[in-house]
Order: sequence, then C-alpha cells, then structure tokens
Amino acid sequence: MTEITQSSSYSLTDRLDAAAIASAAPSQAQLMKELHVKRRPGWTSRLPPGLAAFATNPKGMTGVVILLALILFSIFGPMLSDYNPNRRAGGPHVMPSQEHVLGTTRMGKDVFTQLAYGGRISLTVGFGAGLTAALIGLAIGISAGYFGGRVDDILTFFVNVVLVLPGLPLIIVIATMVETASPWVIGAVLAATGWGWSARTIRTQTLSLRTREFVLSAELMGEKKWRIILVEIFPNMLSFFMSGLVLGTIAAILAEAALEFIGLGDPNAITWGTMLFWAQNNLALQSNAWWEIWPPCIAIMLTGAALVMVNFSVDEITNPQLRASRKIGLIRKFLSSRGRSADVF
Amino acid sequence: MIFLARRLAFYFAAFFLAITFNFLIPRLMPGDPSDRIIASFQGRLNESQVAAIRQSYGLEGSLWEQYLTYVGSVFRLDFGISTVQFPEPTASLLFYGATWTLVLVGLAIALAFTIGSIMGIHAAWNRGGFFDSFFTPINVMMNAFTPAIVALVLFYAFSLQLRWFPLGRAHDPNLMAAFNFQFIGSVLYHATLPVLSIFLVSFGGWHLGMRNVMINLLNDDFVILARAKGLSDNRVKYRYVARNAILPQITSLALSVGYMLGGALVTEQVFNYPGLGKFTFTAIGSRDYSFIQGQLLLLTTAVLVANLLSDIANVILDPRLRKG
Repeated sequence: MTEITQSSSYSLTDRLDAAAIASAAPSQAQLMKELHVKRRPGWTSRLPPGLAAFATNPKGMTGVVILLALILFSIFGPMLSDYNPNRRAGGPHVMPSQEHVLGTTRMGKDVFTQLAYGGRISLTVGFGAGLTAALIGLAIGISAGYFGGRVDDILTFFVNVVLVLPGLPLIIVIATMVETASPWVIGAVLAATGWGWSARTIRTQTLSLRTREFVLSAELMGEKKWRIILVEIFPNMLSFFMSGLVLGTIAAILAEAALEFIGLGDPNAITWGTMLFWAQNNLALQSNAWWEIWPPCIAIMLTGAALVMVNFSVDEITNPQLRASRKIGLIRKFLSSRGRSADVF
Repeated sequence: MIFLARRLAFYFAAFFLAITFNFLIPRLMPGDPSDRIIASFQGRLNESQVAAIRQSYGLEGSLWEQYLTYVGSVFRLDFGISTVQFPEPTASLLFYGATWTLVLVGLAIALAFTIGSIMGIHAAWNRGGFFDSFFTPINVMMNAFTPAIVALVLFYAFSLQLRWFPLGRAHDPNLMAAFNFQFIGSVLYHATLPVLSIFLVSFGGWHLGMRNVMINLLNDDFVILARAKGLSDNRVKYRYVARNAILPQITSLALSVGYMLGGALVTEQVFNYPGLGKFTFTAIGSRDYSFIQGQLLLLTTAVLVANLLSDIANVILDPRLRKG
C-alpha cells in the first residue's frame, strides 16, 4: 500500500515537472533565435577542434583574410606593374592616374610598384623576425621552466635584462654601427632583442606543467629529456607560442618601419619603412603629395590591425572568459529576464 | 626589504650589462668610430695626431684598460664631445634633449595609464555590453598603428591643414624659460599633438590588460564574499577588484617605459620637437657615436629607475610583498 502511494506520488510530481518544463522552456530553435546563435557551418566539423574554433571566429577570420590579401598583393602585385621600383617612371609627384595607379614619388618612381615590392621585404622581414623571436622565446622559456635550478636562474636573469633594456634605442646603437643596415640586418637585430615577453609567459606555463601527472609519468618511464620537452610539454604550449608569434610579428613590422622611418635603414632598399622615410624627407605632406605618404601608412596599419585581430581570436579561444562578444551580453539579458543570476558571466 | 634589495642588485647588474654592450658593440664591428674622422683628413695626419684622436675615443691600450676608462667616464657623466654640435659636450646635449622627452613621455604615460585603466575597469565590469564589445577591439587596434603613422596623420590634419597647432619647437621662441603661466601654457600647447600621438597608440594596451586581469578576478571568492556582504557595486569594483588588478599593471607600466621612449623618439622626428629623438636623428645622420651610445645609457637608466619605482609602489600597495 505505502509502496504504491509513494511511487505514484513520485511519478505525479515527476509528470508535473515535465509538463511545467515543456510549457515554460522554449525549444532549441527558439532559444537560438533569441540569443542570435547561428549553427556552425557544416564543413568546420571536419576540421580539428582547435582549427574549427578559429575558423568560426569572425575576428580571427577577418584578420586572416586581410593578411592573405596583403601577402597575395605583394606576391603578385609586382607582376601587374611594368615599372622598375628603383627607376624613374615618370615626372616628379604625378597625381594618381591611369598610367600611375598611385601616382609617383618626388623622384618620379611609381608608388604602386614600390608598395608591392616593399610588401615582399617588409612582410618577410616582419614574419621572419617574429618567428625567430618566438622560437628563441620558446626554447629559453621551456628550458628555464623545465630544468629549473641554476639553469633557470641564469636564463631568467637574461630574460629580465632583455625585458628591461629599451628596445628601439638599443637597436639604434647596433644599427648605426653596421655601415648600412639592410632590412635583413634589422630583422636579425629585432629577432635577437624581441623574445623577452614570450620567454617569460612560456616559462611560467612550463613551471605549472612540470608537476602534472603526465610529465611525471613520462619521467618515471625513463623518457629522454628532449623527448619530454618536445612531445609532452610543447603541444600544450602551442597557444602561447601562437600568441607570442603574432605579437612578435606585430612588434617586428612596426619596429622595422619605425627604424627605417628615422633613417637607420638602407635608403636604397625598397620597403614600406623606407617609402615613409623618403616621403617624409621629400616633404610629401607639405607639398600636398598625399599619394606618396598614405599608401605605405595604410599598408602598415592594415597589417598591424589584421594581426591584432588574429591575436584577439587566439586569446578568446584559449580563454573563453575573455570573449568580448555581444553574445555574452545577450546571455546575461536572457538569464536576468528569467530571474536567474547573471553574475557568473 | 629583501625583495627590494634583490631587485636593486638586479638593476645594477642590468646597468653594467648595458654599459658593457655599449662598450663592446663598436669594438666588435669592423672599423671603429675614429677611422671615419681619420679618413676624413685624407692622410694629412702624422702618427701622434692619429694616436691623439684614438685616445680621445678611448681606443688606446688593452681591452680591459679601455673598459675601465669607459666605465669611469660613464660614472663621471662624461660622454665625450659631440661631433655634430662641436665642441659642445655630449652630456649637456643629452640632458637638454632628455628634459623635453621626459615632458612628452611623462604626460603621455600618465594620461594613457589613467584613461586606459578606467576604460578597462568599465569594460570588464560590463563585459559583453556595448562599450566592451565595441571599444575593446578598436582601442587595441590603435596599438598596432605605429607612433610614426599616427603622428604623421595628426601632423597633417592639425598642423598643416587646419593650422591649429605649431609646426615645431617645444615652446614659443620669444619666451624665456620661467616658472610662470605663460611659459607653461606655451609648453603644453606645443606638446599637445606629440603627447596625443603617443597616447593614442598606447592607451589600448592598458585597456586590454586591465580588462583581462579584472575578468579573471571577478569570479574569485573574495569578490563573491564582498558582494554577499552587500557592499555597493562601486566599492567592490574599485576597492576590491581594481585594486588587485592594478598590481600586475604597475609592473608592466615600468617595462613599457622603454617602448614609450622609443615611440617618443619617432614622434619627435615628425613634430620637429627638440627632444632626445630629434638629436638622435641628427646624430644618426652624421654618425655621432658618442651621442647615440649616450642616449642608450640614459634611456636604460630611465627604464631601470621606472622599474625600481614600480617595485616600491608594489610593496606599498601589496602587503603580501612586505613579509617576503
């Protein structure tokens, strides 16, 4: 008897709850509409999860598209132009026209041709220096964090020195000592001075990984140290390495432009920085030749902005708390409209 | 105290490393600064004159002796004689330029740090709101617009086209340097655009940094307790979360001084502002090595002092450091 009543009353409340939920809770389609959530495009499900998260991130993809456009422009741009970037192609300061898409400089060189050829060197030097700096930072950060002790003390000292020494003034000293600082020399100096931040973050991360079980078990199984570093620890560093790479590249491209702009580079090399240098030296602004100065400016700004967007998406994917999208605002509004606390977000 | 002593020891070591860099770099490169001077006389110098020129550049004797002389001269603030503004000593040029650079960088850092941090606090507190999702990406993107370009845009718009601001100089040349309203006003008027361009490329970094640190703190136990106690939003926001979030910001503020100084060097070039950057630019053109090396030492010292100040500020703000 008691058994039956108990079970029936239990199933009654259960049924009531189910009915209440069914009447109050909106369907998944309704929820998605209210929160403005779109279904992920089907093709992303075939990608590995990390890449899929990146491919569906609008900021990151915008950045990648802009970067690809700039790279394609500097690869194929020179082929579209009949002019030699180092030679006079027309009169001084010719307005943009059919013949000269972006006009000519005061020396009569074609701006479009220079911009395309300059992109090749500027982007190569920037990405090369950024990659080298990120690799140095990775090697030093992981070694300092993993080996610890005396090695850590010495490496951390050098990391701190590199962080404290002011970058641009140091590069100015080195670059003036070299007779003509070609873009490659500048890139090498930037790589040698730009690894401080990524080494520091990677060291901190390695310190916390070193005591995890999977590293301990690899050690107990007698695996070689380099194998533990490469196979066990490195894959967990990928996101830090990526953001170090992106930030390092931004810093390198901007610093290269700044150095060449203040006249430290080889003035005969063709890069976006030297284009700015000549435009400033030839008083392009004062003589109203806007087409000589704005194209390299816009190219540098676009590259920087695109890389910042990529970095934003890397940040958001590795730490979803940092996401700055309207979605979270909508979720908060949704929760509080249903009387739930929205403080967790 | 032990914390501060250890930091102080590190700063001394870093300073010596900077001196050593400065000493070694020209000696490792093929050819030395004196070669250029000697070559410019086209062989009209005799043995003793060549030796005297090399002596004045500190290039005589063994490497160790040269090093000791160099360190000694650095501590006597003797940076040699400028070749651009011969026979002015380099030190006096350096300090004249550094004063104006410090005016620019000091104003820019103060503005960027305050405004950026306040925006970051606001963005983190209303995460996902309009302000956060709109201004955070834009402010950070400004960071990627290098100082050179922002300065060029401002110079073109406000100095050349609209003519609201002067085309150069740090103050009205008719005014004598004095501590009065007119002179300071003129200095501020001339500094507006350079400061604005350094400010524009740096405040986004403080916005993002403050926002990210704050968001990670918002779910911590002490914040939940403070809210459970019923404290007002503003009190939790500023006295609990922001106060903790500002500690790492102060450390990176000191590290960023070097970057800001680099930005100032470029900005001065555009605005024709008589700071360290302007002089460095002319020094690069004429390969005035003593000045170029001097600016590195001076700026390194500035960054080290800033770091020391930030350590002291951290000890004052964070009681946990006082015990260590």
